Amino acid sequence: MELLKIKNLSFTYPNCDKKALDGIDLSIEKGGFYLLCGYTGSGKTTLLKLLKPETAPFGEKTGEIEYSDVFGSEVSPFDIGFVSQDPNEQTVTDKVWHELTFGLENMGLSKKEIRLKTGEAASYFGIAEKFNCSTDSLSGGEKQLLTLAGAVVTNPKLLILDEPTSQLDPITAVSFIDTIRRVNRDFGITVIIAEHRLEDVFSLADRVIAMDAGKKIACDTPENVCSLLKDSRLFMGFPSSARIWRDSGSSGRCPVSVREGKAFIKEIFGEHIAEYVPEKSEINESPEALNVKGVWFRYEKDLPDVLRDFSLSVKKGEIFGILGSNGVGKTTLLKVLAGLNKPYSGKIRVFDKKIEDYKRGALYKSCVALLPQDPKTVFIKSTVREDLEDILINCGAKKDDARKKAEETAAGFGITELLGKNPYDLSGGERQKCAMIKLLLTDPEIIMLDEPTKGLDAYSKNRLIELLNSLKNEGKTIIAVTHDIEFAAAVSSRTALLFDGELIAEGEPREFFKANTFYTTAAYRIANENIKNAVFCSEVCAAVKEYTGKNE
Amino acid sequence: MPKEKRFFREGGRRVVKAFAKFHPVTLFAYFAVILLFSMFIRNPVTVCLSLLGGAAFCSTLTNKREKLDDIKFYIPLTVLIAITNPLISHNGKTPLFFLNGNAFTLESIYYGVFIALMIIAVRMWSKSYSRIVTSDKFLYLFGRFAPKTALILSVALRYVPMMKAQAKKIKDAQKTLGLYSKGSYADNVVSTVKVYSALIGWSLENAVETGKNMKARGWGHGKRTSFSSFRFRAADAVVLVLLAVFSAAMLISLRTGRLAFSFYPEPTALPADPVSVFAYVCFALLSFIPFFIESEENIRWNCLRSKT
Repeated sequence: MELLKIKNLSFTYPNCDKKALDGIDLSIEKGGFYLLCGYTGSGKTTLLKLLKPETAPFGEKTGEIEYSDVFGSEVSPFDIGFVSQDPNEQTVTDKVWHELTFGLENMGLSKKEIRLKTGEAASYFGIAEKFNCSTDSLSGGEKQLLTLAGAVVTNPKLLILDEPTSQLDPITAVSFIDTIRRVNRDFGITVIIAEHRLEDVFSLADRVIAMDAGKKIACDTPENVCSLLKDSRLFMGFPSSARIWRDSGSSGRCPVSVREGKAFIKEIFGEHIAEYVPEKSEINESPEALNVKGVWFRYEKDLPDVLRDFSLSVKKGEIFGILGSNGVGKTTLLKVLAGLNKPYSGKIRVFDKKIEDYKRGALYKSCVALLPQDPKTVFIKSTVREDLEDILINCGAKKDDARKKAEETAAGFGITELLGKNPYDLSGGERQKCAMIKLLLTDPEIIMLDEPTKGLDAYSKNRLIELLNSLKNEGKTIIAVTHDIEFAAAVSSRTALLFDGELIAEGEPREFFKANTFYTTAAYRIANENIKNAVFCSEVCAAVKEYTGKNE
Repeated sequence: MPKEKRFFREGGRRVVKAFAKFHPVTLFAYFAVILLFSMFIRNPVTVCLSLLGGAAFCSTLTNKREKLDDIKFYIPLTVLIAITNPLISHNGKTPLFFLNGNAFTLESIYYGVFIALMIIAVRMWSKSYSRIVTSDKFLYLFGRFAPKTALILSVALRYVPMMKAQAKKIKDAQKTLGLYSKGSYADNVVSTVKVYSALIGWSLENAVETGKNMKARGWGHGKRTSFSSFRFRAADAVVLVLLAVFSAAMLISLRTGRLAFSFYPEPTALPADPVSVFAYVCFALLSFIPFFIESEENIRWNCLRSKT
């Protein structure tokens, strides 16, 4: 049964020539699980927001959205639940219970009904224990779960999620997606979810809707979408198994999960075990950029240690990737390394000089820079241009020079059209890029990045990897903490795992990811039984091609 | 962020005090009555009783270190007030010595001690109040008269820790970008202004998002109800009745002057006729209600434990 039908829908934002949506036709079945994928700026969010009358943006709209009889004569706000990216922006009140009851109070239900419904919901979503807590004592994952619970508690017909996991770490993200899937299965609530990280959600979807530049380019089962979009630039963000399938030139049914990918590889290789022979990597013999010895850190005297006897050595011109789960102290570690948090014991040397000997912010002058997790905190002015000029002036440039240099730099990075915009109006990827450029204007030698891929689509991620590699070639040292395994594998010269206050494993990415079972790339998980040494999709593909070529 | 987590008192698993389980109306009425009586009855016996009851209850809420800190603070405070009062007030019949031609009287010292005890008693009750009547109970009480204001308060309460955290984040980010680097006072001021202007921008942006979100979740869609998980139990009725009876007894004694006492020119005899004694007993029972409730639960638990 059809829940709603979108007929030739187009949308243009005010003061904008380009159509954000261009002739979308779509039919949403009741009880379906729809995955909406596409790059930033493809119109995903616009489409999702238009589906809910209260969130519909202002602008010129043509075409129609026809709601079925299920919604009654008028679509009430309680019939469509909406969960967006940032859990902080969606939390309204200060208490967990109040957050759950908020929608029900707005419905005007009696106390008794509210008590029953919230009790049920809190139990179902596993947040009963936190019922009386303050909302800001929750972790990001718990907050997002609370938002979902708050949306589901009013018993909606349709649940819309706009990149709900972009601010979560991969493990929390997977369990969040599972919860959504459970809501869909247990209650038959129709789900439309937009996502960048497709590895896990792709195979769960009944239908995948692909969008590019405001147009719908496909809407079909996951396997069929893979076949249809073989040549699309969207494919870059598809799951590893699908990428291996395409790049090795295979035909037939496309594998869309790690399990199917494994079977796919097994079918080709059988019992044969191939080996990928990597190129010998060069040994970096540059001097040390950063040396940390026996550092201990905690926030307060009576709190547990975050770093325990932590040691680290990073050479100049290296990209050092530090992995770790949420709450393990990655951000704290970066702040210690950047001199923002002072350890109570141990030594940190930056370019063979003690960190304490950098006086009066000398550390942050052409030496160390830190890109925080939330790039919004980097901007302090109302336009990107002003921000870039401000930092140049702060570095000692004259006003006219600053203006000129800001424009030159912007042109160099291809962000000229963003200069006049407010940093808050940029998309996640754009904002991150601008923040990075602002940081580079201080001409740092060591660049520290805190979760640089958070909320980025596959395209922006690849651009970031290119940028980091070019900085590395210029001789800059980069330290990145991340929970994005694929990103760490692709970009770092050395990778380490932070656990329990110290680095427990460290090595070249290949050695590192080969030794791990959980913290490893999807490509390795797919291929490790048949192809040794292959950590990336491209390597698996090369091995597959070589083997099939040999057998013909 | 372990540092921020320490601010949250009402954690999910924290043991709830027996007295805190009462209905907000009961709690509010109780604290209002005991605070008013402690402040406005000028009688050493009632003040002492209030102090003892308050301290006894407060001791069930605080840990060892807090208790020690309290004692360390209140003893010098008492001495200080006892000494400074005679310096200001020269009433009284019994001069001990003369300072600059002004009498330093024994009665003034007595009065100073009395004031100090009263202040400590009020402090004890206020401290207990802030731990027992938490923000959600307060909002529940006043939310009935002004539901919208109550919701706004709830939203605002969330903003305080959030803005604090964001200010720190922005400051840290800007530090590594070269703000606060010159070390001069002027530079610090300029940097702080920049950080706070960014914070204001962020909070406005956030407020707009919150508003949109509230609307998306049905705010302003028809008539709204207000939920609370508080229940009025029989025990609440009992406490309220006791409160009414004791207060009535106190008020009658006050009206008939049975509790009257004055320090100047010399301390009057403590009223000790049967009616006054009855009033003292009432007040003692009144001020020990929370402590009794707390102890009763403790005793019950000890019995349960020893049986198994």
